[in-house]
Amino acid sequence: MTRTTWLRGGSLACAALLVVLVSPSSFSQDPTVIRVTAERFTFTPSHIKVKRGTIVELRLRSEDTNHGFRIVGSGFNAIIPKRGRGEATLIFRADTPGRYTFECSKMCGAGHTFMRGTITVGE
Amino acid sequence: MRRRIAVLVAISIVLLVGGPVSGQTPDPPATQSPVASPGQTRIEELERRVRELETRLRELEAAATKPLAPPPAPREPAPAQQMPPSLGPPTSVEESSTVSRTGPISGYMDFHLNKPEHEDAQLDFHRFVLLFNHSFSDRLRFVGELELEHAFVSGLEASGEVELEQAYLDFKVKPELNFRAGMVLAPVGIINERHEPPSFHGVERPFVDTFIIPTTWFDAGVGVHGTVGAGWQYRAYLMAPLDATRITAEEGLHEATQKGFASNVRNVAHTGRLEYVGVPGLNLGTSFWRGKTGFNFRRVDSRVGLFEFDGRYRAGRFAARGEFAQVFIDGAADLNDFLQRTAGVSPNIARQMRGFYVEPSIRPLPWIRHDVAAFVRYENFDTQFKMPEGVLPLKQFDRAAWVFGGSYFPDPDVVFKIDYSIIRNRSSLFRSVDSLNIGLGWWF
Repeated sequence: MTRTTWLRGGSLACAALLVVLVSPSSFSQDPTVIRVTAERFTFTPSHIKVKRGTIVELRLRSEDTNHGFRIVGSGFNAIIPKRGRGEATLIFRADTPGRYTFECSKMCGAGHTFMRGTITVGE
Repeated sequence: MRRRIAVLVAISIVLLVGGPVSGQTPDPPATQSPVASPGQTRIEELERRVRELETRLRELEAAATKPLAPPPAPREPAPAQQMPPSLGPPTSVEESSTVSRTGPISGYMDFHLNKPEHEDAQLDFHRFVLLFNHSFSDRLRFVGELELEHAFVSGLEASGEVELEQAYLDFKVKPELNFRAGMVLAPVGIINERHEPPSFHGVERPFVDTFIIPTTWFDAGVGVHGTVGAGWQYRAYLMAPLDATRITAEEGLHEATQKGFASNVRNVAHTGRLEYVGVPGLNLGTSFWRGKTGFNFRRVDSRVGLFEFDGRYRAGRFAARGEFAQVFIDGAADLNDFLQRTAGVSPNIARQMRGFYVEPSIRPLPWIRHDVAAFVRYENFDTQFKMPEGVLPLKQFDRAAWVFGGSYFPDPDVVFKIDYSIIRNRSSLFRSVDSLNIGLGWWF
């Protein structure tokens, strides 16, 4: 193997490392982490406020059964694992001011339809 | 800025070394070109590839941080490749807001063994409940709950029941205001709206939630519900009233609901609930019911009022819940007189009933894979709490109970329960019966 080949191989490895470092998971700002607990038949907190431009990371955890977390009309819909089985994460960029409704999207009991809340994106 | 420099450095290195290493574009031979020099061609090719890579990087960044933005106008469901990407495990894609969706069937089951003191044990498939839901759109949804009690239904008096406990349409306007109509659950107490077996301790529901608050309390109704402020929820309904002829001295309001069976609504009842759920683990609620009940007796003006408050709190391995409920029956004296004249025996209906309970619990083995909980519940319930003037209370219906036991959850939706109930009353003639209860319940 020639010296030139070694140099090119090493350069390629360095380039790959740099690409990994600036991969899409490395956001230009740290996400704002908000923990949400789901339990028959409430989300806590049920009203979330963030500033425009914030990258929001919702960490969703259940205290009982599977719940869903659906932001109405946005395309976000996560299933929250049952108690003790981890959490679901939703990451989004709050670019457009407004109020967004979220709700449980997985039938969880007699009061399932009460599980609603809002995300308010302010200026 | 540093990120952008890093991106450009990375791209440059890839471009400088990537081609030769991969062997796709070997160095051009040193020949003359009539159009451009080999060096110029190489530079143009590199510039083109830089532009392509920058475009690709922007696409990847955009996909990873999808902006939260208002939805586009309603449209037909997009093909799969145009759906938003998954952003965190486990996510799924979403249909358009105007698409009807029927959810999967859910439900719960309650299978009991009851062994009253000095009596034979009984196996009872107490409840088999199926829930259905269908969304006509994001704003219009149907929910139904169909229950079979005690496994078998016949025309005989002592048999099971098929009950339509919920069948309503929700018109969702905004989080603060939503409309509901159909067969609804009365929003009273802890258990009535939250009665899935894994969500409460004890094989049988609390006595207070049976005799003072007649769970499962459902009837035809219409109303509003929503969330207000940070952590407040409310429900307010007009519902079919209770039937005074079904109130008894022993079981209180347990059988007094009309259950949507040609419910008389000459006078509707008002009911509502306010809950605070703004602090994780804490749930505080209060509810009321008020309505005329004497529609079967034109000359008797009887009303039932109920006031209740409850709380639940959970912190780590510990949890506690409690409830207090008091019933007021206006016109109880006239009701007793009228029923005595028609049936020959006074039903001894009280003018006030009262019940409360407290229930601490602990999950003593947090290090094992499955949840195990131990609980003790003290209940005091008196369906003869205050009597009409001239009517003596029946002391055997002034009762207290200690219920202690455990719950084992092989899955958060499956629970094996065992408890022992010790019931005492104030009568010297009638002794209440203790019981051992074992249950298996699950939600799916």
